[in-house]
Amino acid sequence: MAKTKQDRYEQIKRFEGDLGQCMKCGFCTFWCPVYQEERVEPSVARGKNMMIRGLLAGDLDYTKEYASRLNKCTLCMTCTANCPAKANIPNVIVAARADAVKARGLKFPYNIAYRWLLPRRTLFGRVVRFASWFQGIFLPKTEGTIRHLSMFLSALGKGRNIPQIAPRFLREIVPVVNRPPEGVKTVMRVGYFTGCMTDFTMPELGKHIIDFLTRNGVEVIVPREQGCCGAPVFLGAGDFDTGRKMADTNVKAFEGLDYVISDCATCTSSLKDYAKFLADTPEREKAYTSFKEKVKDISQFLVDVLKLPASAYQAAPAVKGKKVTWHDPCHLNRHLGITSQPRQIIKSIPDIEYIEMPNADRCCGMAGSFSLYYYDLSKQIADKKVEAIKSTGADIVVTSCPGCEIQLIDSLLRNKVPVKVMHIMELLA
Amino acid sequence: MIDKKFIAELSKIVGKEAVLTSKEDLNAYSYDGTATWVHMPDVVVLPTTAEQVSRILKLADDNQIPVTPRGAGTNVSGGSIPIKGGIVLCTTRMNKILDINKANLTATVEPGVVLHDLNLALAKQSLFYPPDPQSFLGCTIGGTVAENAGGPYCVKYGVTKQYILGLEVVLANGYIMKLGGVTVKNRTGYELMMLFTGSEGTLGVITKITLKLIPMPLANKTMMAVFDDIAVGGQAVSNILASGVVPAKIEFVDNFILRRIEEMTPMGLPVEAKALMLLQADGSPAAVEAEAQQIVDVLKKSGAKEVRVAKDADEAMKYWKMRSAGFAATYGAAHTVLSEDVAVPRDRLADFIHKLEEISARTGFFICYLGHAGDGNLHPSIFTDIRNKEEFTRAQQAMEEIFEAALSVGGVLSGEHGIGLEKQRFLKKAMDPVALSLMRKIKGILDPNHILNPGKVWEEEKV
Repeated sequence: MAKTKQDRYEQIKRFEGDLGQCMKCGFCTFWCPVYQEERVEPSVARGKNMMIRGLLAGDLDYTKEYASRLNKCTLCMTCTANCPAKANIPNVIVAARADAVKARGLKFPYNIAYRWLLPRRTLFGRVVRFASWFQGIFLPKTEGTIRHLSMFLSALGKGRNIPQIAPRFLREIVPVVNRPPEGVKTVMRVGYFTGCMTDFTMPELGKHIIDFLTRNGVEVIVPREQGCCGAPVFLGAGDFDTGRKMADTNVKAFEGLDYVISDCATCTSSLKDYAKFLADTPEREKAYTSFKEKVKDISQFLVDVLKLPASAYQAAPAVKGKKVTWHDPCHLNRHLGITSQPRQIIKSIPDIEYIEMPNADRCCGMAGSFSLYYYDLSKQIADKKVEAIKSTGADIVVTSCPGCEIQLIDSLLRNKVPVKVMHIMELLA
Repeated sequence: MIDKKFIAELSKIVGKEAVLTSKEDLNAYSYDGTATWVHMPDVVVLPTTAEQVSRILKLADDNQIPVTPRGAGTNVSGGSIPIKGGIVLCTTRMNKILDINKANLTATVEPGVVLHDLNLALAKQSLFYPPDPQSFLGCTIGGTVAENAGGPYCVKYGVTKQYILGLEVVLANGYIMKLGGVTVKNRTGYELMMLFTGSEGTLGVITKITLKLIPMPLANKTMMAVFDDIAVGGQAVSNILASGVVPAKIEFVDNFILRRIEEMTPMGLPVEAKALMLLQADGSPAAVEAEAQQIVDVLKKSGAKEVRVAKDADEAMKYWKMRSAGFAATYGAAHTVLSEDVAVPRDRLADFIHKLEEISARTGFFICYLGHAGDGNLHPSIFTDIRNKEEFTRAQQAMEEIFEAALSVGGVLSGEHGIGLEKQRFLKKAMDPVALSLMRKIKGILDPNHILNPGKVWEEEKV
């Protein structure tokens, strides 16, 4: 039986409210990081929304041009945050990506990477390690981390400064159950969603977070069954079917735990987005919604749940006396509304000076697979962030998203700006 | 005809990357800020210099291809819709601020500079460019000149045309013409700059603009007044002006919009009020104090139920944010919103509002208003649904009655949005026939082949 139009645009129809909410005022042009570089209408939320309306009306079809314009969005949500009608066009864009994948499939090599590799954590780890050997041969070693294999492969060809892969992954160096040390009362038990990047490339950050939490009375469980959050798969590529498999895996891995904490803004937001995008059955709806409530960003957990006193935040030796500025990851700020908690933590740390960056919440241009497809554009967006960082005179820029970290490291190095990039938890002793 | 050869010629002028031909891209240049007008161009070009604009126009003129100049496409009159297809000439990449001269109080910009970007750059030097169409986040300076745009500040400071000192305009035949200069006074020949200001892209393409600036006022104060009766509010505006003070802004929203805004972003507004008026006094601190007091006194004497003076900048910001949410509030309220832009003499505001109420009662359409009460420029909106043909036709007729009502009290069709496609069918009624015929002759001289923004302003294309 031929697919009805309704089926063909199943996901878009779920966000018809957002699609219709746009009144075409064009104010999003001022805020869109992509439009600000390209200054063409197909770059901005209004243009993309009208393109999707055109698809629904039968004026447009799934062409190469359609896909390219749909992909050219960082999902930073700045348009929505500033929209007078509060139209959430990123919702529509993700949904449209899903309908396109359903109709047309994924292209090589993304089909291999997203459908086959990312959902298989152990295998993925082996491939990443294998890739790291090449990294050692072909590229100068740099600080930081690599996020996804496909990104790594692509970066090889484009000269991006990419971080090195750890000789031992986090899952190989910490036990499943991490109890508070002798003499510290256990006040809470949480699951730690490590994310690909902390696991594969920044295990020391993961170890540090576990130590910090256990010292403060939190028992930390690191389930081995957890996998990739799925952001590049269902949000980036629109592969909802694979996304559901990944979501189910993660939901199951953290069953029975009250909280799931993550040090990655993108992971946190994506884990919470399962409910919005992937719930196709009442069971999944229920499971994803209750999972959503459990997931907390690390700074949000420390400030709002654990309610640590200011004295708990002491400077790590390496950052004492330094000037620090904060970059808001889009997924933390606009997607989750977490802005005050990280600042509160940084400002609580004695012996460092906090300087607020102008436009701290402006997208850095990383956006996962976006920077794969559009590396040059991604760099242009990042250069504006570099200017903002420079203007603060800070020694260290901290953030809470490994994706942003990669981008900041790459763009600061490229611009020869000697500012160190750190995860917020690395500031803490 | 637009064929491969023609596209190749365009690519030679601006580079391949600045010529858009895919259906997806053309779709993105088929609309503007209006609800109903849509038409696809055949090609979009994004020039970066006046020379490129000149070569594009020459090529188009030689081939008699329509050219629709476009900035950011935020206009609300259909002005940038390529209604006859052809070329959309988009100026968004001509976005350099060429000069800000604090000693001469001027700024020279390319047409694609976004108004708010200019404002941010000026603010750093304590300078001020008053015309403030509420699309300032998106609209380009070129667009605001071509539309002769206005906004809340225009009560006291005037509209775009009062700030143009110099223009560079590319004519339909490709000639790059310079008009005016960088002086405040200039009595050389006819005021040709005014021809292009408000020409809606039908006479030439503006490629450089020199604007007059003023120093940023040192202080300001925001007041909010509540009215039980919209017409009483309208009378209060006249009373304030007659009392000898000109506030920087006098805006108002009606009960419907007030409620919608409060729903969308709760901020403790008096939702029972029939109309809410926002006013701002600005200038030196002492003058602002005195003016604000006078405004408050007149408002109270004119029958305002309540008058609040914003304690600080935060409270003031809250009120103005509400006002700028006004359009979103109306547009989100129905499937199709017909929103108009009539302006009436300020001493006839109350009469006009009474007429609107009568039209609403007679036609059965709910009419809501917001607008720049201080300059008599209102945006009455009718809620309808374009999918319901019969109702939509009646809604359009009701809108026609609103135009008639505005004209009958000495008002005009459009205060700040322009004629475009939206209002051209009323143009004949609203203009002296000789003036209209003169306009046609001017068009004929400047654009004999009628390639520039064809189908706009005019009901028929050619003389």
